[in-house]
Amino acid sequence: MKQTLIVFVQDEPGVLNRVSSMIRKRNFNIDSLVAGRTDNPSITRMTIVLNEPDKTKQKIVVNNLKKLIDVYDVVDATDIDCHLREYALVKIKISGSPDELKSMVSIDNCRILEQEKDTIILELSGNEAKVEEMISKLKTFDVLELMRSGKMAMISGNDEEHQPELVKSDPDWATQKLVEAY
Amino acid sequence: MGESKKKLTGAEIIWECLIQEGVDVVFGYPGGTILPAYDALNNYSDKIHHVLVRHEQGATHMADGYARSSGKVGVAMATSGPGAANMVTGIATAMMDSSPIVCITGQVPRAAIGSDAFQETDIAGTVIPVSKHSYLVMDIHNLASTIKEAFTVARSGRPGPVLVDIPKDIQTEAIEFDYPLGPVTIPGNNIAQKAELNELEQAATLIGKAKKPVILAGHGILISGASKEIVEMAEIANIPIGWTLLGSGAVPASHPLNMGMMGMHGEFAVNNAIQKADLLIACGMRFDDRVTGNIKTYSPDSKKIHIEIDPAEINKNVRVDVGIVGDLRVVLQQLIPLLRKKKNNEWLKKITSWQSESLARDIINLQTDTLYGAQVIHDLWQETNGDAIIVSDVGQHQMLEAQYFQHEEPNTLLTSGGLGTMGFSLPAAIGASFSRKDKEIWVIVGDGSIQMTITELATAVQEKVNIRIAIINNGYLGMVRQWQQLFYDARYKETPISSPDYLKIAEAYGLPGFRVTKREEISSAVQEAKKTNGPALIEFVVEQHDMVYPMVPAGANLNEMISRPVHDQFQESEI
Repeated sequence: MKQTLIVFVQDEPGVLNRVSSMIRKRNFNIDSLVAGRTDNPSITRMTIVLNEPDKTKQKIVVNNLKKLIDVYDVVDATDIDCHLREYALVKIKISGSPDELKSMVSIDNCRILEQEKDTIILELSGNEAKVEEMISKLKTFDVLELMRSGKMAMISGNDEEHQPELVKSDPDWATQKLVEAY
Repeated sequence: MGESKKKLTGAEIIWECLIQEGVDVVFGYPGGTILPAYDALNNYSDKIHHVLVRHEQGATHMADGYARSSGKVGVAMATSGPGAANMVTGIATAMMDSSPIVCITGQVPRAAIGSDAFQETDIAGTVIPVSKHSYLVMDIHNLASTIKEAFTVARSGRPGPVLVDIPKDIQTEAIEFDYPLGPVTIPGNNIAQKAELNELEQAATLIGKAKKPVILAGHGILISGASKEIVEMAEIANIPIGWTLLGSGAVPASHPLNMGMMGMHGEFAVNNAIQKADLLIACGMRFDDRVTGNIKTYSPDSKKIHIEIDPAEINKNVRVDVGIVGDLRVVLQQLIPLLRKKKNNEWLKKITSWQSESLARDIINLQTDTLYGAQVIHDLWQETNGDAIIVSDVGQHQMLEAQYFQHEEPNTLLTSGGLGTMGFSLPAAIGASFSRKDKEIWVIVGDGSIQMTITELATAVQEKVNIRIAIINNGYLGMVRQWQQLFYDARYKETPISSPDYLKIAEAYGLPGFRVTKREEISSAVQEAKKTNGPALIEFVVEQHDMVYPMVPAGANLNEMISRPVHDQFQESEI
């Protein structure tokens, strides 16, 4: 069972290093990690898929990610209805007629990016199962290169409880105020 | 337009920011890329005292000792490359024990970063896994705010070490200086929270129902200042208290509900109570493997409440029934009004009966020709009336200290618990001497550990710090030898260790030195050492083959302890 995390981090040099370092140091195993910009230029969004079936350990990795100073919030999308999509590029050597290959391209989410004399580059996207299925079909051809992007996750709907908290706060202030209150 | 502000260099801004943070002492070592900062220090020497260490590891341990003894942030400074790299052990030590320190390092000029320049190390990257956070300042306009943020991060929540790496050309650049007012804000919500009412009610119900409860007192009590609250909670419901190594002093040793230390070299009665308990109330501790023994059989029949500021510690090692995240003092203040009075007499009686068993095996009153480490520590406790800060190192003497020195006050034992860093004690004591001038400070250190950072004797002498150093010399790396004896058929590979003549060492470094080989000499040597102004050293030559008892072998059940053979056999069973 894989764990899917959506992580919101401050766009700072080295933040990817901090995130991956924590995961490695705690002995978790990364299946894929995708990081990219969002509508907010100061926030980078990551989708991290981990090979971690143990629910207790899944919690540990979330809590430790949240502890990182550069991390705004972590949403664990593992058990939430969400779209998990992947993109891939495949270069195939064509020796005879490309017709058989081209017939497959009619399938959803797969198209020809480039056709040269004896090679074709395809792009495909979809959920993991779809991408896997497509790739296994393409393996009957002469695949020269293949590159998968890793998965990107987006949660369905607009449920309040799955919204990340993207605010900065003053850790000193919060501690002092609490202590004063008692 | 108003009058234009005075321009300050980055080097001057560093010191201005430290003064704003209330820093009055910095432990450091100059070098190429931190030279501008040291040059600027000429103008700040009246406000900040700089302690010249002999190795940068020492600087970090000093900052750590300063922080642990005062609760304030300790500051260490070093140059780039080897200077910064030498800090890594000290940073990792502070991380494991949640000690707030800020390390400031010089870095090669910005244009040279990434070129493998002379004395270039990516220290901000190097310390990522062993620090709470690290910064590389690449714009002088961010310098002041970064230093301010570093201090805030270091001391807030669960404290820890933070490193700020500052390229040399930023130190020499000048800008109009504005100290950033307003609060520091960081992403995320990793801040102390108070407990939810339903969590507190669940905890109170469990405490009300329990017949065999135990409080596990950890370092978090000292950090949050919850000693009063923990005792109050224990007294209301008559709950016995066991503590972790770093929780030593969290409750007064003389308190009737205090049972003693738990874990690998803890009291049998404490470990047995934990194993037989029906409720554990873990306060500011993290169920380290050294306190749980075999995790699979740990306290099998108990419900568990865990109160802890770091959410990542809840359910990490031990699955708990109620996990409360928050500042321990605040949470206990919330919880106490919900508790009702209880007696637990039967349970307490049982624990007392277990305690008397281990008393019979004690060696304190043993009449022998050779001196025992435990006797030294016991007598030192008596000679100081227990009113001293003890800085212990790592090894047998560290465990003996925890067993035989009775701490009545919080923050009077400083020791490297989590990382177990040999060489910690001497520099940490030097650091502590700058924050606790009101207290007598004793280093308790083995002959192996002292030789790791013995170079800081020069710092102690140069600074005339009032610390007393008790070297417990048994001619072995004793704890490792103990493991070889028990688990490697006594094949003592590389554990016999020679020492220099410590009296000559003392003389060469310029401090008074004493040697004690008999028990009756302890008192006068300790009293003599106390009289000296500045550091003093006593070498205690002790029995070479003694072991620390009782002991839970690694991986064994917590109450399956190897106990000290009773006295008569004890004499014969010696090697």
